[in-house]
Amino acid sequence: MRFFQRFLPFVLVGAALVIWETAARSGMWSPLLFPSLGKIFRELGLFFTKTEMLLEIQVSLERALGGFALAALMGILLGIVMGRSRFVAALLDPLFSGTYAVPKLALFPIFIFVFGIGSLSKVALVFLECLYPIVIMTYAGARDVNRALLWSAQNMGASRAAILRRVVIPATTPFIFAGFRVAVPVAMIVVVITEMVASADGLGYQVIYAMSSLKTDRMLAVVIVIAALGYALDKAVVLLRDRLIYWEKLDTYYV
Amino acid sequence: MAFAKASLLIAVLLVWQLARLPDYILSPLEIVRHFVQALGTAELYENIWASLARSLPGFAIGSFLGAALGLAAGTARWFDRMLSPAVFLTYPVPKIVMLPIFMIWFGIGDLSKVLIIALACFYPVFINAYYGVRQTRTILVWSALNMGATPARIFRRVVLPSAAPMIFAAMRVSLALSFIVMFAAEMINARSGLGHMIRTAENSLRFDLMYVSLVTIAILGYAGDRLVRLAHSRLLAWQQPA
Repeated sequence: MRFFQRFLPFVLVGAALVIWETAARSGMWSPLLFPSLGKIFRELGLFFTKTEMLLEIQVSLERALGGFALAALMGILLGIVMGRSRFVAALLDPLFSGTYAVPKLALFPIFIFVFGIGSLSKVALVFLECLYPIVIMTYAGARDVNRALLWSAQNMGASRAAILRRVVIPATTPFIFAGFRVAVPVAMIVVVITEMVASADGLGYQVIYAMSSLKTDRMLAVVIVIAALGYALDKAVVLLRDRLIYWEKLDTYYV
Repeated sequence: MAFAKASLLIAVLLVWQLARLPDYILSPLEIVRHFVQALGTAELYENIWASLARSLPGFAIGSFLGAALGLAAGTARWFDRMLSPAVFLTYPVPKIVMLPIFMIWFGIGDLSKVLIIALACFYPVFINAYYGVRQTRTILVWSALNMGATPARIFRRVVLPSAAPMIFAAMRVSLALSFIVMFAAEMINARSGLGHMIRTAENSLRFDLMYVSLVTIAILGYAGDRLVRLAHSRLLAWQQPA
């Protein structure tokens, strides 16, 4: 039973792959619906041998990470100021919580007019979408810094700058990373969507382009690349988090 | 304090109203005027209906499956070992990239859109239901066992109530997600709905209609979020919503 249990995680994935391959080979459906695994992996191999394709990855990554980095800078700054100043919080909190549930994606057509159809409109939308989780998490963290720690630091004569650097920021970092973990997949989602809607480059465009040329195998290869990127970026955030916040283990089972 | 809360919003609106803007940015009053005008047309309601007919079933299917499978994976060890790795592995993947393949499998009609929305809504609910079950306090389960409760009864009276707040928190996320994915899917390929409306408006340079669609989706997103929060505080009255 123990022996059997070790293989359980692979059962579902294995079964899905076997079903896929049988469906592809049965000839009941056109290869347009179910291209065989071999074909998909051949396209995947082709993808990585072509420089143009690697450039598509670069374009998408630059947009996602550029928007994310801007959002991280702005979000941490706003979140900490909101957490440490009642006045700023009263000013900005209604703005963020009021528009939190509104799909910012709807702004994209207007962003195209304002920022042009190139990278800038995409980066701007990624920035906007990533800003919310980071600000909200950072704010929550900076607001709830342990009072006793703040008082002790004050009592020992620490300056405001020292308290910020040695108490507030370390206490907020786990929350900042919780915000990052929400924001990074969001950045990928927004980049892919905006590239699918209006673009001439990037991975999202390649998906649409492959579909329009009825190359289902190539489309699935690009989907695999996007999936791997999403997974790798998430792992990178977790790794960075564990290095920076070594005193607090991430309390999750699988992730 | 109440004035401070509104002051920034008022300031932004004032500057926005008074500034000289390019054609594609309408002033707040113009947006309101166009929106009120659009409220009198049947076209807007048809698009709202088309959009909701996609997002709500997708949200319902995805949340239900996510909650059911997440509760099962949190409860049964063998199910957990079988399903959870696949779910956690694919969690950070942007689900919208599956839309084209769904369109090939299920047609370009509503079915593929409903299913892609369901897929996107599944993940947050599954993960929160899963952790909700795992975070059930062992002492409560032990007490129930000690008092002779059957496993089914423990699940219904101890595990489920302890996982419920997490599930509601996730449903808030996935409702917002359902609107985003619905809008994206409609912008990519649709013949109706708010996403389609904003695309056609964009292509025909009808800026008024773009803003009408934008305001509508904003109101829907906001109202949906309030509804989930209301349901949360009604159904889980013992727990203070976050």
